[in-house]
Amino acid sequence: MLGDNLYRHASPQVYDSAFERPYAPLLTEHVKFVAVLGNHDSPESVNYPGWNMNGQRYFSFTRGAVRFFALDTNLLDAPQLQWLEQTLKTAREPWKIAYFHHPIYSNGRRHGSDVELRVRLEPLFVRHGIQVVFAGHDHMYERLKPQKGITYFVSGAGGQLRQDGVRPSETTATAFDQEQSFLLLEVDDLAMRFRAISRRGAVIDSGTILRQPST
Amino acid sequence: MTTHAIRLARSAAATRRPAAPGLLHFVSRHYLLLPIGAAAAFLWANTAPESYFTFARLLAFPVNAIAMVFFFGLLAQELLEEMMPGGALHHRRRWPVPLVAAAGGTLGAAAAYTAWLKSATVPMMLGGWPIMAGIDLVFAYFIVRAIFHRHPAVSFLLLLAVASNAIGFIALAPTFLFDGSRAGGSGVLMTAAVGLAAWLRRKHVRTFWPYVLVCGALSWLALYLEGFPPALALVPIVAFMPHTRRRLGELFEDEVDATADTPRHYEHVWHYHVQIALLLFGLVNAGVLVTGYDEGTTATVLAALGKTAGILLAVAVALVLGLRLPAHLGWRELVVVALAASIGLTFSLYFAIALFPAGPLLAQIKLGALLTAAALPLAFGAAWLLRVGRFDPRRHPPRR
Repeated sequence: MLGDNLYRHASPQVYDSAFERPYAPLLTEHVKFVAVLGNHDSPESVNYPGWNMNGQRYFSFTRGAVRFFALDTNLLDAPQLQWLEQTLKTAREPWKIAYFHHPIYSNGRRHGSDVELRVRLEPLFVRHGIQVVFAGHDHMYERLKPQKGITYFVSGAGGQLRQDGVRPSETTATAFDQEQSFLLLEVDDLAMRFRAISRRGAVIDSGTILRQPST
Repeated sequence: MTTHAIRLARSAAATRRPAAPGLLHFVSRHYLLLPIGAAAAFLWANTAPESYFTFARLLAFPVNAIAMVFFFGLLAQELLEEMMPGGALHHRRRWPVPLVAAAGGTLGAAAAYTAWLKSATVPMMLGGWPIMAGIDLVFAYFIVRAIFHRHPAVSFLLLLAVASNAIGFIALAPTFLFDGSRAGGSGVLMTAAVGLAAWLRRKHVRTFWPYVLVCGALSWLALYLEGFPPALALVPIVAFMPHTRRRLGELFEDEVDATADTPRHYEHVWHYHVQIALLLFGLVNAGVLVTGYDEGTTATVLAALGKTAGILLAVAVALVLGLRLPAHLGWRELVVVALAASIGLTFSLYFAIALFPAGPLLAQIKLGALLTAAALPLAFGAAWLLRVGRFDPRRHPPRR
């Protein structure tokens, strides 16, 4: 979950009506949600068990061949950057994937790229072999052409949609802003296969990202 | 050489010092380098953002934590002298209404800020309300001074701004005290800094260098280790420097014999350096992307309006409770003062960078703080509409 997970003041009733009931089919199948915070989330949400943040604003975890780095871009302070650098250095998994709320590359009309965050994060991503980055914030779907070897996705239309919210540029690989959408990923040691699916079930983008030989 | 001869020689040297050229003098005298730096940063960030943010990141610490020490030191010294005989803030009976106004302004600003963020469901930024207490003391002073010249409105604005910024610093203090980054040992350092400054004063040391270099350095280290903004390092030290009386209305003005005593010497020597610090402060902190506009920006602008309303409401309550406004200061003048006081700029930016790390939340508030500069034309427009200060036809009767 890429942030702005709830647009209301967090309470047990709101978690129930906005998360637990809509996602009940997945939750009963033991699909594990691991969230990051957006600007519309309550800071206390880190303690909500259903989002598996374990009280942390930023953290790291491993699933199969992937080491995920979940960041809090609302407050990208010095301790978080130091933690990220240290954790990236020691990660030995074949894939390193970062996800957070505010995109550092985006062609969204409303927000676009957060260059101030990019200046801080991108050098770490490049230096330590992050291959893929996911962000939300702009309410549309966009996959960007690799920037300095990293593929960036903006998947911010899982809830709210901003129609015509993308102004494609030369950095856009694919964009979609006519319906809500979500992303589906499968990753093994050598490749990551992705599909972006619209609210009506149409595949709006798909492809395979091969793991860089150097990583 | 006798002491008298040394003073005479220094005085002559001071008078031989070439004055800044006309435009530069005007710019520095009115502290315009900060808005100039801010405008340059804004343009740079929106045309070449990557190079701007790289530059701003590199210079953030040296500018915000070191160069700004001299700005806050100069400001503390200026305000301290204003509280001495002859200064605008000397008479304590003038204090109550502006202090109430500051409390009202802060409440109004915080209420507007909080209400907007709650309605827009942005709980992440609710803790930023102390930023809204910030009043750009220097900018607001020059606006009110330009409109009213020497008038009770000027000292009212000064007291209001000092009190409001003090509320902001106090409200921010728990953030620094409980952020878990305290290194310890800072109490000893601060005691040493203040104790040494007191000893220097007792020994009648009249050069500012040991105060600044030794006491200031110890104080800086103490604040830094404690997690407080180290830019305030000279504030507790300046109080120990010997002071002179000043003429009413010469705040922030650099036109006196600078050699006679320590703080005036300090002011004279550092006046232009502080201008450079402010230029860099604007350049490093005011670069925000237009696309960074979001709920936090709206909340900050609304807070400025809330501050104006809060000031006026608090003054009304104070008057109902029996407090009195200074002579020649009525509601029309107060409206102009309250509008000028809604400019957050330097202090809001400073509070914001102290509270939020670099990123989208900080950018939203920075953009809002820059937008509060719109109160400049609003204050002049209100003065013109209300016919007060320089727009009062009784003061400047039309020529026939």
